[in-house]
Amino acid sequence: MRASQISDRTTGTGDDGRRRWRVQPGQQERNPRAFARRRRLERRLLGVLVPVVLLVAWELCANAGLIDTRFFPAPSQIGSTAVDMIGNGILLTDLTVTVRVLLIGLVSGFVVGTVAGLLLGLSRIARAALEPLLSALYTIPKLAVLPLLLLIFGVGELPKVILVGLGVFFIAWISVLEAILDLPGAYGEAATAFDVRGWRRMRHVTLPAVLPQVLVGLRISVGNAVLIVVGVEFVSGDEGIGYRIWNSWSIFAADRMYVGIVVVALLGYLLSLLVQLLSRVCVPWAPSTAARRD
Amino acid sequence: MVTKIQISEVGKRYEGRNPVEALSDVTLTVDDSEFVCLVGPSGCGKSTLLRMIMGLHRPSAGTVDVFADDPVLPPTAMVFQDYSIFPWKTVEQNVRFGFEGRRLPRAECDARVDKWLERLGLSQFRRAYPAALSGGMRQRVSIARALAVEPEVLLMDEPFAALDAQLRRVLQEELLALWQQDRRTVVFVTHSLEEAILLGDRIVVMSARPGRIIADIRVPFDRPRSPQIRTAPEFAELEGEIWAQLRDEVDRSLVGGAR
Repeated sequence: MRASQISDRTTGTGDDGRRRWRVQPGQQERNPRAFARRRRLERRLLGVLVPVVLLVAWELCANAGLIDTRFFPAPSQIGSTAVDMIGNGILLTDLTVTVRVLLIGLVSGFVVGTVAGLLLGLSRIARAALEPLLSALYTIPKLAVLPLLLLIFGVGELPKVILVGLGVFFIAWISVLEAILDLPGAYGEAATAFDVRGWRRMRHVTLPAVLPQVLVGLRISVGNAVLIVVGVEFVSGDEGIGYRIWNSWSIFAADRMYVGIVVVALLGYLLSLLVQLLSRVCVPWAPSTAARRD
Repeated sequence: MVTKIQISEVGKRYEGRNPVEALSDVTLTVDDSEFVCLVGPSGCGKSTLLRMIMGLHRPSAGTVDVFADDPVLPPTAMVFQDYSIFPWKTVEQNVRFGFEGRRLPRAECDARVDKWLERLGLSQFRRAYPAALSGGMRQRVSIARALAVEPEVLLMDEPFAALDAQLRRVLQEELLALWQQDRRTVVFVTHSLEEAILLGDRIVVMSARPGRIIADIRVPFDRPRSPQIRTAPEFAELEGEIWAQLRDEVDRSLVGGAR
C-alpha cells in the first residue's frame, strides 16, 4: 500500500490573480485498475522485448555479414547446434556433471560456512582465534589453490567440489557473522529478560533474526559457485559445461561455445530464482520488495 | 479573510487486494496567516491530507488548491516527523538544502541560512553532523530548513512526536514565539490536543477511517499567547471538550485493527 510519490502540481491562476497550485486525481487515481494493468503490461513487455530485439538485431547483422560469424554465429545457428548437442546427449552429460559438482559444493560449503559463522558470531574466543586467519584466507583467489587440491586429491570430482565449497564457505561465514554482530541489542535483552537461553534462544531469536542475511548470502553464493565450477572445468577434466566452452573455443567451434555460455547463464539464473523463492517462503515476515520494483 | 488553502471534496482510496478508504469527502478552507491544527486517531488520514497540500500524494477525488502570492516560487515547505534531515550533511548544509530546488542569489541564501540558524539557536552547531546532535536539535534543523525558504505555507507533520515530553514543551514554546513574530499560514498535524490548543487558531478534528471532518473549533485564546495559558481553566475545559468528541473515534480506530 505504498502511495506513489509525485510532485506534479499543476499551476494556474486563481480568480483574484494569485497563482494557484493544484493537486488533483491523475490517471492512477481515476482508473486504478487500468493503470495497474498498463504498468504490468509495460514491465512484462519490456522484459521480453529487450532481449528479443537484441537477438533479432544479432541475427540480422550475422545474415547481412556485418559481423564475423566465425566469432559471432547467428542465434539460429547456435540454436540448431544446441538441438544437435541435446540429440547426441553431450549437453545432458555435461550438464549432469556440472550440476552435480555445483550442488554438492554449494550445499556443503554453505552449511559448513553457516555453522562456522554462527560459532564465530556467538563465541568471542572462537572469533578471536579464527577471524584473522579466515579473513586472510578469504582473499586468496580460490582457483589459485586448485593445483594444490589436485596434488592432494588427484584428478576427479572431489577437488572441484572442495573448491566450489570453499568459495561458498567464505561468503556464508562472513554474512552470518556480520548478521549476528549486527543484531539489535533489544532482541538479546528481551530473550535474557524472559530467561530464554541456549538452544531455545537460538531457535526463537538468533536464527530467525539472521535468516534474511543468510539468504542474501546464499544468493551471492550461487553466482560465485557457478563462476568457480566453470573456471575449474576450464582447466581440469574432460566433461562439464565449462570444459565444453573451453574445448569448443580451442577447436574453433564458436557455436558450441555459445551453447555452453547460454546454458551456464540459464543455470545460474534458475538457481538464483530458486533461492529467491526459498527466501519468500522462509521469511514471510519480510515486506515484499516486489511492490517497490514496479 | 483571504483563502490560502482550499480543499474541496477530497477522497482517498488505496486500491489493492484489500482496498482502504482513507479519506472521504473532506472540505476545508484555511485562511491566510492562519494556524490550523489537524487532530484525529491514528490512520485517520490527517498526514495524507497534509501530504496532499504539499503535493506528495494525489487524491482519488476532489482538488487541493494552494494560492500563492509569489508568481513563481512554490508556496509550501514541510517539516517531517523523522528521518528527513540528511546524516551526510552538516547542520548548515542541511538548512541550505532547501535552496537547491529554487534559484536564489548566493548572498541571499547565505543571509537566510545565517538568520534561521540564529533564530533556532543552531549557529554554534553549524558545522556539526546530525549524528552529533540530540533529537531536539535535529528537529530544530528540520524546522530551520523549512523556514529558511520562507514559504507562504508551512506544513508540519507531527514534528515533535519523536521527542520526549520536556523537549516537546520547549520546542512548542519556541515555535509559538517564532510564529507570532512573523505569522504565516501553518497546517500542523498532531496527536496532542494540548499542543493543538497551545499553537492553533483553529483545531480541525477528524474521524476514524475513512477520515472525515467532525469538528472545526476556534481556539478562544488571544494572540500573542504565552505558554502560561496551559494552566488556564478554559484550556483544560477545551481539551476535555475536544477529547469527548475524539474519544469514540479513537476507540473505533482501535477496533478497526491493522493499519
